[in-house]
Amino acid sequence: MVCAQVETSPRRCWQKVLYERQPFPDNYVDQRFLEELRKNIHARQYQYWNVVFESGAVVQQLCSVCVFVVTWWYMDAGVLSPQGLFGAALLTSLLGYVLFDAIDAGVGRRESGRTRWADLKSMLVFTAFTYGFSPVLKTLTESISTDTIYAMSAFMLLGHLIFFDYGANAAIVSSTLSLNMAIFASVCLASRLPRSLHAFAMVTFAMQIFALWPMLQKKLKARTPCCYVGVTVLFALVALMGLASVSSVGAVLFASLLLSISCLCPYCLIRLQQLKDNIHGPWDEAEIKEDLSRFLM
Amino acid sequence: MVLKVFFPSCCSSAESGILIGRWISEQNSAVILAVVHFPFIPVQVKHYLREVQQVTKVSVSVLGSWNNSKQEKEESLSEFLEDLGTIFSHEPWIQISKEGDSKFWNCSTLQKQSDIHREEEIILVYYDQRKVMLSHLHPPLDTADHGAEDASKLSAIFNTVANSKVLFMTDRYDDGPIKMTHWQSDGIEASIIVELMKQASVPACMLLTFLLSLVSGVCNSRVLKFWPLSFLWSKLSTCEQLGHRLQHLQVISSSKKAQNQTQLMRKANIFVSLLIDVALGILLMSWLYRKNQIGHLADTLIPVADHVAEELQDLLQWLMGAPAGLKMNRALDQVLGRFFLYHIHLWISYIHLMSPFIEMILWYVGLSACLGLTVALCILSDIIALLTFHIYCFYVYGARLYCLKIYGLSSLWRLFRGKKWNVLRQRVDSCSYDLDQLFIGTLLFTILLFLLPTTALYYLVFTLLRLLVVIVQGLIHLLVDLINSVPLYSIILRFCRSYRLAAGVKFRVLEQQDGKPLRLLMQINPLSYGNVVQTYRLPTYSCYPKDSWTSLCKKLFLGELIYPWKHKGEKQE
Repeated sequence: MVCAQVETSPRRCWQKVLYERQPFPDNYVDQRFLEELRKNIHARQYQYWNVVFESGAVVQQLCSVCVFVVTWWYMDAGVLSPQGLFGAALLTSLLGYVLFDAIDAGVGRRESGRTRWADLKSMLVFTAFTYGFSPVLKTLTESISTDTIYAMSAFMLLGHLIFFDYGANAAIVSSTLSLNMAIFASVCLASRLPRSLHAFAMVTFAMQIFALWPMLQKKLKARTPCCYVGVTVLFALVALMGLASVSSVGAVLFASLLLSISCLCPYCLIRLQQLKDNIHGPWDEAEIKEDLSRFLM
Repeated sequence: MVLKVFFPSCCSSAESGILIGRWISEQNSAVILAVVHFPFIPVQVKHYLREVQQVTKVSVSVLGSWNNSKQEKEESLSEFLEDLGTIFSHEPWIQISKEGDSKFWNCSTLQKQSDIHREEEIILVYYDQRKVMLSHLHPPLDTADHGAEDASKLSAIFNTVANSKVLFMTDRYDDGPIKMTHWQSDGIEASIIVELMKQASVPACMLLTFLLSLVSGVCNSRVLKFWPLSFLWSKLSTCEQLGHRLQHLQVISSSKKAQNQTQLMRKANIFVSLLIDVALGILLMSWLYRKNQIGHLADTLIPVADHVAEELQDLLQWLMGAPAGLKMNRALDQVLGRFFLYHIHLWISYIHLMSPFIEMILWYVGLSACLGLTVALCILSDIIALLTFHIYCFYVYGARLYCLKIYGLSSLWRLFRGKKWNVLRQRVDSCSYDLDQLFIGTLLFTILLFLLPTTALYYLVFTLLRLLVVIVQGLIHLLVDLINSVPLYSIILRFCRSYRLAAGVKFRVLEQQDGKPLRLLMQINPLSYGNVVQTYRLPTYSCYPKDSWTSLCKKLFLGELIYPWKHKGEKQE
C-alpha cells in the first residue's frame, strides 16, 4: 500500500537494504518501520499454584541446611550420640535407596547403566575415607578461632544455597560448586565436634543430606508430584520443630521465611509479570537458535 | 680537497732526501714512513721498496722529496729535487722543505700530468711513529655511520704504520745500501732478556703441554665418568675451577701463535691472572702454615658447627610452639619438628665422628692453595656446602612438602569450582565430576588448606636459612669470578703505556704562520678503564643460573628447588 503511494511520486520505493544505492540518507526509514514491533513474545503466564509447587525446591534446600545445622547443634551439645545419628542416617539412606529405584521401577537405573556394585563401591569409598580422615579432621582447626569457623561455615552454606541447581537455566548455577561448598562447611563444623567419631558421623550425614537427598527429591518431583508436596511439607515441619527445640525465635523467623518464599514470592512474581513490557523487532541483535554444541566437539 | 701529509716527528731533523710512505688516495692523504738520504741509486731504492712491499703487503712508494737546508736556499738542489719527480713517478709529487731551524716548512705539490697547476691546501700532521706503531686502535662500539667512517679512515693510517714494522726493526748498525731516517728500534740486542725468555719458553711450553695432556687424559678417563662420580664432579665448584684453570694453561702453552691483537691480549691476560692467582694462593698458604693456623682453624670449626646445630635446635623448638603467635596445626607441627630435630641429632653425631680427622683433612686441603687463591676459595665454598648439608636437607624437605601442597591445592581448587586443566588445549575447562570424586577432592582440599600455614612457615624459615648459605657461596663465587675474569695485563698496560690501547686520536693545532701549511700534532686518546675491562674481560664458566628476580620469586613461591648451580637441561632466559 505504501509502495503504491510512492509509485505515483517520481521517487523510487525505499528498500531496507544497504547493497543498493538509494536516494535516501543512510538513517532514513519509512512508516513501515514500527509495523514489525512485537511486545512480550517470550513472557510466560504463570499459574499461582504451579509457582508455589516449583518453589518447593528452594524450601527443601533451606530445610536441608536447617536440619543439618540443628543436627550439628545437638551433636555439639552432646544430646545426639554419633552412633545414633549414623544408624538413623544409614536407615534413612537404605530406605531412600530402595525408594529411588521403586519410584520409576528401575527405568532410570537402566538408562544410566550404573550397577549396584558401583553404588556399593561409592558408599565404601565415602565411609572409608571419612573414617580414615576423621582424626585428622578432628585436629584440623584446633588452633583456629571458633568464630572464624562459624563465619566460614555460614558463608559456605550461603554459597551452597546460592549456587544450588533449583532447575533454573542461569549461568550462576553450578551444582558442583554448591556441593563442594556444603562439604567444606560440614568439614569445618565437624572439626569443632568433641571426638573423631562425631566428625565421622557428621560428615557422612552431610553427604547424605546435601548429595543424596536432592537426587531423590528430583526424582520424586518428576514422577509423583503429590508425594513430593507431602514430603516437602513434612520435611519443612520437621525442620521447624527441630529449630523450635533449639530457639523459638529462630523457628518463627524461619517459618516466616519459608512462608514468604512459598506463598508471597509467587504472588509477587505473578503481579509483577503483568507489568512486563518487552519490545522486540528487527533491531534486535541476531539470535542463534540452533544448537551449536556439535561444532564445538 | 685538502691534502693531508702525516709526517713522523722523528724525521724532522733528517737530512735531505726523498720521502717514502703510502699514498691513500681515498682520503687524499700521504703517510710518510721514512726519509731516504742522499746519495742513493734509484734502482736500488726501487728494488728495496719492492722487497718491503712483498714482506709487509703495504704499497710503499716514493711520495716526494725532503729538503732540509741548513744554509741559504740552493737553487740547484731544488731543481734537482724537482727532477727526481720524473724518476720516481708519483702523482702528486710532494715537496717539503725546511729552512734552517724554522718551525714552518714549505710544502707544495706537483701535478705533472694535469696541465693546470692546481693550488692545493696542505695540512701537515705530525705523529709519533713509535706510539702509533705500537698502539692498537679500538673502534667505537656504537657504530653510528659517521663515527664508523672516521674510525675506518683512522685505522687505515694506523695499520699502515703498524704493518711496516719491518722497516723500523732493522738493526741500527746494519749498514744497508740505503741510508734512511725513521724511528729506530733498539734492535734485538737491547732486549736480550726478553729474547732469551722467548727462546726458553718454547721447551717450557712443550713440557707444560705434555704434562697437561697427561692430566687431562687422567681426567677424561672412563673410570671417572660413571654416574655417581660425574654427578659429584659437576656439583663441586673446585672441580669446575680446576677445569677452568686447566683450559687456561692449555691456551697459554699452546704452540700456536696468537693470530691477532685480541688473542694476544687474551693470552697475556690469562697468564697474568694465573700468576697473580698463584701468588695470592702461596701468600695464603704461607699464612696458613705459619704458627699452626690450621690447627686453630680446625679447633674452632667443630664448636662453630655445634653452635649452628644448637641454634637450629632452638629455632625448631620455637617453631614447635606458637611462633610469632601464628595459628599452626599442632599435630603436624609436632611431627615436622621432631623429624627435623632427629635430623639435627644425626648431623651432630656425624660431625663428632668426623672431628678427629678434621685437622688432617684441612692440612691436606690447605696444600691446594698453591694451585691458586681461586682454587682455595672454591674449596672453602665446597666445605661450607658440606658443613651446611643439614640446612640443605631441611630446605629440600620443606620445599618438597610445600610444592606438593601448592600443586595439590591449585588442582583441587579447580575441582572445587567444577573445572579441570585441559592438557591438550592448555587451558581450564569445565568438567562434570562424579559424586565420590567431588567428595574426596573437597575433603583433601579442606585438609590441605588448613595445613598449608604450618608447612609454609617451615618452608619459609628453611628457605631463608638456605638463601643465607647460597648468598655466602655466591659471594665467594663472585670473588672467584672476579679473579678469573679481570684483564689485569690490559689494565696494567693502560696504566703504564696508555698509548698502547687507543680509543681514537686528537689533533692539537701548532703555531701558525700565514702562507705556510697548517700544522697539527696527532696525539693518541687512550681507552677508558671501563672500556678496557669490557673489551678484554676473560670469559668465565658461570655455574649458577641466571634467573631474573621475578622468576626467582615465582620459583620460591611455588616451592621449586633453587640451586646455586646450573641445570644442564635448563633453558637460559
